[in-house]
Amino acid sequence: MATVTRSDSGQTTGNSADGTPLTWTWVQAVIAIAVLVAGYWVSRALGHPGWSGPFPSATGEWFMARMDDLYLWIVLNRNDSPLFLYGFNYVSVGLGSAVVLINQILDFLTWVGVTVLGVLASWRIAGWRVALLVLVTFAVFALTGLWNESMTTLSLIITSVLAALLVGLPLGVLAGRSERFYRGIRPVLDFMQILPAFAYLLPFVLLFGIGNPAAVVVTAVYAMPPAVRITALAIREVDKGAIEATTSLGSTPWQVLTKVQLPMARRTILLGVNQTIMLAVSMVVIASVIGAGGLGDAIYQALAKVNVGQAFQAGVAIVMLAIAMDRVTGAVGHGARTPQIAPRFRLPVLGAGLAIVIASVGVARFLGVDGWPRDLAVDISDPINAFNEWFEAVAGGFTAALGTVTQSFVINPLTAVLTGSPWWLVVLVAAALGWIFAGVRTAVISGVSFVVVGLLGVWTEAMDTLAQVLVAALVTIALGVVIGVLASRSDVFAAILKPILDAMQTLPPFVYLIPAVAFFGLGPVPALVAAVVFALPPVIRLVNDGIRGVPANTLEAGVSQGSTKWQLLTKVELPMARGSLLLAVNQGIILVLSMVVMGALVGAGALGFGVVFGLAQNQFGLGLASGLAIVCLGLFLDRVTQGRRAPRA
Amino acid sequence: MPRFMRKGALIRLLAVVLAAVSVSSCAVRTDQVARDPNTVRIAVNGWVGYEASAEVLAYILREEMGYEVQLMRVDEQPAWQALDQGVLDVIVENWGHEDLMELYGPEGKGTVVDGGPTGNEGVIGWYVPAYLVEEYPEIATMEGIKEYSELFRTAQTGDSGEFLAGAPGFVTQDQGMINAFDLDLEIVYAGSEASQITEVRRRYANEEPVLFYFYDPQWLQDELDLVKVEFPPYFEGCDDDLEDVPCDYPVYELNKIFRAGFVETGDPAYQFLDNWRWSNSNQNAVARMIADEGLDPSEAAEIWVEENPDVWRDWIPEGYEGR
Repeated sequence: MATVTRSDSGQTTGNSADGTPLTWTWVQAVIAIAVLVAGYWVSRALGHPGWSGPFPSATGEWFMARMDDLYLWIVLNRNDSPLFLYGFNYVSVGLGSAVVLINQILDFLTWVGVTVLGVLASWRIAGWRVALLVLVTFAVFALTGLWNESMTTLSLIITSVLAALLVGLPLGVLAGRSERFYRGIRPVLDFMQILPAFAYLLPFVLLFGIGNPAAVVVTAVYAMPPAVRITALAIREVDKGAIEATTSLGSTPWQVLTKVQLPMARRTILLGVNQTIMLAVSMVVIASVIGAGGLGDAIYQALAKVNVGQAFQAGVAIVMLAIAMDRVTGAVGHGARTPQIAPRFRLPVLGAGLAIVIASVGVARFLGVDGWPRDLAVDISDPINAFNEWFEAVAGGFTAALGTVTQSFVINPLTAVLTGSPWWLVVLVAAALGWIFAGVRTAVISGVSFVVVGLLGVWTEAMDTLAQVLVAALVTIALGVVIGVLASRSDVFAAILKPILDAMQTLPPFVYLIPAVAFFGLGPVPALVAAVVFALPPVIRLVNDGIRGVPANTLEAGVSQGSTKWQLLTKVELPMARGSLLLAVNQGIILVLSMVVMGALVGAGALGFGVVFGLAQNQFGLGLASGLAIVCLGLFLDRVTQGRRAPRA
Repeated sequence: MPRFMRKGALIRLLAVVLAAVSVSSCAVRTDQVARDPNTVRIAVNGWVGYEASAEVLAYILREEMGYEVQLMRVDEQPAWQALDQGVLDVIVENWGHEDLMELYGPEGKGTVVDGGPTGNEGVIGWYVPAYLVEEYPEIATMEGIKEYSELFRTAQTGDSGEFLAGAPGFVTQDQGMINAFDLDLEIVYAGSEASQITEVRRRYANEEPVLFYFYDPQWLQDELDLVKVEFPPYFEGCDDDLEDVPCDYPVYELNKIFRAGFVETGDPAYQFLDNWRWSNSNQNAVARMIADEGLDPSEAAEIWVEENPDVWRDWIPEGYEGR
């Protein structure tokens, strides 16, 4: 999902483009890493003298103490200070009330009314196939006994998407019309998209209050970037001739916008809306950590009882919701399956639809229908639990051993090198890597990011997180490239893979985090496994698309020169798909980072634990410092893997 | 009259709209957020015992007293914050938290009120599985833990033994105990209770050693045979310095915490919650149905309420006629 939205910023050209041989880059990188390892051994041999330890923590302690003071001030003044009375509280009360209100409306419609309305609307927008899918989705909500929870989630999504669009679309229009504004806002959007959601939960809870309000704000912030980006793109792509024609006819800029640019950019903008909705669906689940209700909460509660089956059931409901919303809004965008209705029948059809909805709501309310009766729910959690237990009994021994080996021989040594080396050496190596892969600017950004991490006082935790991210990213990329290449070879395999990838991408990670503990034992390993599962789909997709995008005549040229299949792959296809591969690496690493910090919920510790602990124990300083450190790591990883940007056209 | 009018759904909808409109003027306080009328908002913390209490109370409020109930799942400390902000009405099982009472209670901001004991007693402590005690009889003591700490080594902790801590939101003094008794243990935070229980279950199935933070009443105590490690008993003030705690956890007399504004209304719902008191075995009966038999929490609550009217009849305020 996020892949599409990033593609306009992630255009990369390799180093080969500016004359440096590729291999030389890697030699340099290996040298930089060798220096780090050597530094670690020297420091170890000298018995870790004072000058070679981790970053001094004094500044971090000072920072955390100030932040804790700030926290206390906010708690004491939330209902007294004008900043809150006339500022944040407006947003928080407004959004919180909106969620309650929408939920009330959905309740008022009863399940009959909501289903009829949803199915009719999606038929009108997207045709009968999608309408059928929507019907199935509502059936899943009802049959899993999660109707009320689904409606709460729906209210949360509607509110946050509206909030995101209310801010995002105007920004996008501005960015589309003003080059300067676009250049100013782009780094902000980049930044928002590499931010793992976990990093900013805590500050938003503090500003907007626990529960629905903060959940809506967090979701809206997370989901907004594609709306801005794609709107800007759409406005820019409107035919210049059309604009000039209207301007020459004497239209005001406002008229140009409303009569030409917006109508012509409509379809593309709707694609942005689609992306926003998809991101909102995935975020609303994470927001259950800060007290948002609904399906995410159902998963969270099921997991509190370690009832994997029940959590899975709620997970399926979310997957269905995501797919249904994607298909409906996607259809608005491309409009392919919309039923053809002659203009003169449109109003009557609308009227008839409304009449049916009103009639069904009336009948349902008259009969006293409330929620879906719980007795009619189908419980699939028992067989899933049984399957899970069986699988655990069969594979548990092997996976547990694998977990221990990974912990002892991969994660522990890597963590030891990163945490045990002198901090300034790590900073230098990070800057060097930035310079090697992406030039001077990135070198500065990398170095500064690491120094800031140190100043925040969470150096050791950050290095721990970095080690976990590197391991998981390596596995993700290796697996992703192999599976992606295989998928590009066989249409059948690709077709089988697609729904699996869809599900992997939309199934909330909470669902498989806890079972991973049962298989791999507590600690970073289950978190890494979950991170790999989470980050794989986009990597596979990008690799697959990249290879399939290699022009057929280039391939033929290779074949006619007598290349073997292996040569064809390594000499022609992979180098030609380089742009996609680099993007895949970048995406994979950023997604891994966002998941690894969530791994704190299963004992991965490190920065994520700072956030979780900060949230649970009101340790604002620690939580905020950990969140900011995650941001710094994200910035470093993103910039280094993005390589040198293509020169602006 | 048709049913939909009688249920007053339209009126309720209207009330919410009015609430939303009225808050959109001038200074806004966090407790002005729109809410469903006649709704009691109960915090739900992340353990099953708590859920059992909350669900039973919710069931009686809904079915016997005609209220709406909203259960909101939050951690312990954020729940206090939510009371302070006015988005929740009550915490029905509080473990200690004197510091928060100082901050938000009558001596501090005055936004929350101690609602008195629930009748439940809570025990926190260090636990080991029974099979370990069979093999090493003295392991369930402080000296035994000290002697056998290498038993608990894992790949993650290396040369120290592992002490498996629970959810990050729970009350802890573990590091202080490790320091005070000079134990060679490293705390590993499970990050959530679910992952802690999953890990304990996994080790239990393989009869591996495990030493962990746990508590009672807790449903897993019925499923697994666990032994509490003996430490010198708690005495007043021994946990003042959290870096050095030479004693066991205290026995907690669990209490209720109300939002001050909710108490001031004197609403029958408040009086009901104020009257409510029950025993550990009452709570466990419900918790067991939820966790062991896999019943839906509200079903479990329904069964208990139907079977024990003599227990809960007294909680309903005298002369309450329903609404």
